[in-house]
Amino acid sequence: MNAFFRKNLLSAATLIVILIFFIAAAQGMNSQDFVITFLRGLSVGAVTFLVASGFSLIFGLLDVLNLAHGTLFMIGAYIGWTVFVRPDTFADLLTPFALILSGFALRDMYPLLSARVRLGLRMRRILPWALIIVSVLLLGLILPRYPIAGWNLDNYAESPVTYSFMASQGTPLPPPTATFDQISPALAIGGLLLASLFGSFGLFLFDQSVQRSPRLSWRSYAGFVVLLLVGLIAFIFNSALTAFLLGLNANWLFFIAVIVATLSGAGLGALMEATLIRPLYSRPIYQLMLTIGLSAIGVQIVQAVWGRPEFVMPKPTLFNGSGASCPATSFSSWWQGNCSTILLLGGRVRTYNEIFIPLIGLLVLVAVWILLQRTRLGMIIRAGVQDREMVEALGINVRRVFTMVFALGVGLATLGGALAAPSMGLSNAMGESFLLNALIALAIGGLTSYPGAALGSLLVGLIQQFIIKYGQIGISIPFTSIVLKPTPPIVPASTVLLMVIILLIMPNGLLGKKE
Amino acid sequence: MQTILDVQGIHTFIGQYHILQGVDVRVPAGSITALLGRNGAGKTTTLKSILGLTPPRQGKVIFNGREVQGMRSFDIAAMGIGFVPEHRAIFRDLSVEENLKLAERAKDDYARKRDFIFDLFPDLKRLIALPGTSLSGGQQQMLAIARSLVADNSLLLIDEPSEGLAPVIIEHMMSAIRQLSTQSTIVLVEQNFLVASKLAEYYIIIEEGRSVQSGMMKDLVNDKAAIHRFLGAA
Repeated sequence: MNAFFRKNLLSAATLIVILIFFIAAAQGMNSQDFVITFLRGLSVGAVTFLVASGFSLIFGLLDVLNLAHGTLFMIGAYIGWTVFVRPDTFADLLTPFALILSGFALRDMYPLLSARVRLGLRMRRILPWALIIVSVLLLGLILPRYPIAGWNLDNYAESPVTYSFMASQGTPLPPPTATFDQISPALAIGGLLLASLFGSFGLFLFDQSVQRSPRLSWRSYAGFVVLLLVGLIAFIFNSALTAFLLGLNANWLFFIAVIVATLSGAGLGALMEATLIRPLYSRPIYQLMLTIGLSAIGVQIVQAVWGRPEFVMPKPTLFNGSGASCPATSFSSWWQGNCSTILLLGGRVRTYNEIFIPLIGLLVLVAVWILLQRTRLGMIIRAGVQDREMVEALGINVRRVFTMVFALGVGLATLGGALAAPSMGLSNAMGESFLLNALIALAIGGLTSYPGAALGSLLVGLIQQFIIKYGQIGISIPFTSIVLKPTPPIVPASTVLLMVIILLIMPNGLLGKKE
Repeated sequence: MQTILDVQGIHTFIGQYHILQGVDVRVPAGSITALLGRNGAGKTTTLKSILGLTPPRQGKVIFNGREVQGMRSFDIAAMGIGFVPEHRAIFRDLSVEENLKLAERAKDDYARKRDFIFDLFPDLKRLIALPGTSLSGGQQQMLAIARSLVADNSLLLIDEPSEGLAPVIIEHMMSAIRQLSTQSTIVLVEQNFLVASKLAEYYIIIEEGRSVQSGMMKDLVNDKAAIHRFLGAA
């Protein structure tokens, strides 16, 4: 015990100093302000944690600084919004997406196929490009003709902003239906499948680091068959699925939206790792440039698809009530009225933002902790963070674990995005600001430490919210009549300042390990 | 005698550097073979090239009759090669037991082997719940060897087992390795010639990335000139 204290003296001292600051901060405000600010801090901290933990897992194991993580977080928010506000669009998109992804599920088979292809050196160099160009052309031909009910950015009455607003009023607009445009359904589906096979094989051929002898089993085809079936079933039962989703209770729909956002994030992450990051493991600078580029592309895509204006995703009805019994005074009265606010210690607290999000954050914290500590996958991740080569020397396929961790990390970010959409709203800039938050949180807590990510995110969230609060009420400096009001620009600066101070005292962050 | 591992003229580059420039290693099944040579001669790189951790650009690595060069290293290892690296590479964030469990290739490997492992290294049994960080150098070395025994490996590559250990512990380590050699073939990299000469039946001397001499250890022990020339030992 004694040795433990001596070893962690510096961490303990730093934590105590932070605690003192925190208590001092609480002195200047009344208890209801304190409760609200504290819970808001928890909320921002929870969302930051969802971004930071994934980023840190990916960086720890793969040594990849995924600077697109913020953008993926944002994409998660927009995916969640789409499923929640426009389930018909989601039902329409299911088929093309499943088909486009299906080819990538055949990844294990491609080395054999590639060995079969006997071509000259020049043709071999052209082949991947040719395949990718054909694939892109096919997609460009088919997708615009494929029936996807959507919105219209140029017409305000049919824009996401309007759909979002109408949904929040409880009177969603009747969704338009789409039909095949100058293309037969069979041709469209076949074309998408072909585009997927060509594109995935082309991207695979770029990866020079592939080595021979993967063992093929039924697993190698299972993913492909499942995706193909999902695509076809979603196509055949499209209208039934749409009707089912539209008729669904908003809470269930929200739940589905969050799950879909998380899973699509995981899929996107796996795809990104397998096709784009994997060829660049030996070139860290290229990885950085790649992820920065992807991040910029992601923002552009979001602007093109969902538009530039900001809008807010409606909250599920569980957190949206405003009847006679609201604001709720206890959890049972909240449960009866589904109130959007609840009175806690005299402060009026929003149930979704300040209670639900921190709870989910805590849930994810525990779930990932269990995954890391109690499962074989977690064991491999923890070992791999320290020494990948040795894990491989034990006969473990670390590459496969890389893909899983990338999927997990991005999935956590998109989960965060979907959860944040109803509380913070959707905007093209949300990715950037949360990536910055997450980076600061990780620098504070320790780059590859999982508890460090949690602690850092918590501190970042709390400090930001307290500074904002003090910007409103002012800090009275003792023994003077001066009231200091921090201005809004100090909010981001304050967390950076905290980071600088902590890094000066503890270069590895609060819970980081020495390299 | 049957050859379990046959390395034929491998060339390995690390970055720009041409580290191995033609190394041949023939390892008879059931033997202990020592790779000898001065610091930086390429002994460790030879072990890593066999496993594909530093893949050779030229030459062949034949293990159990199969060419394995160019295969992914986890596939090579999974064919039955255990690796005990130079600095032990104990996973700090894992407990002793988790370090062992991680090496499982079949679900019951650890359960099957644990009694054998703890008979060999009784010390590890009481350390089972401790994190890898809290072990002493000797305990880490025992754990590193134990880890290579969890899966069914027919070949063990052991790099510098005596490095930085006290004489008493070296004795213990040597008896453990001798005991292991009754069931697996062992390739040993060892700086300490005394240790190597007591353990190994065969030797291969590597100098500046080339294998220059090989034979029976009992012949080398009497060849003072060769020892002096290649190993600098008095």
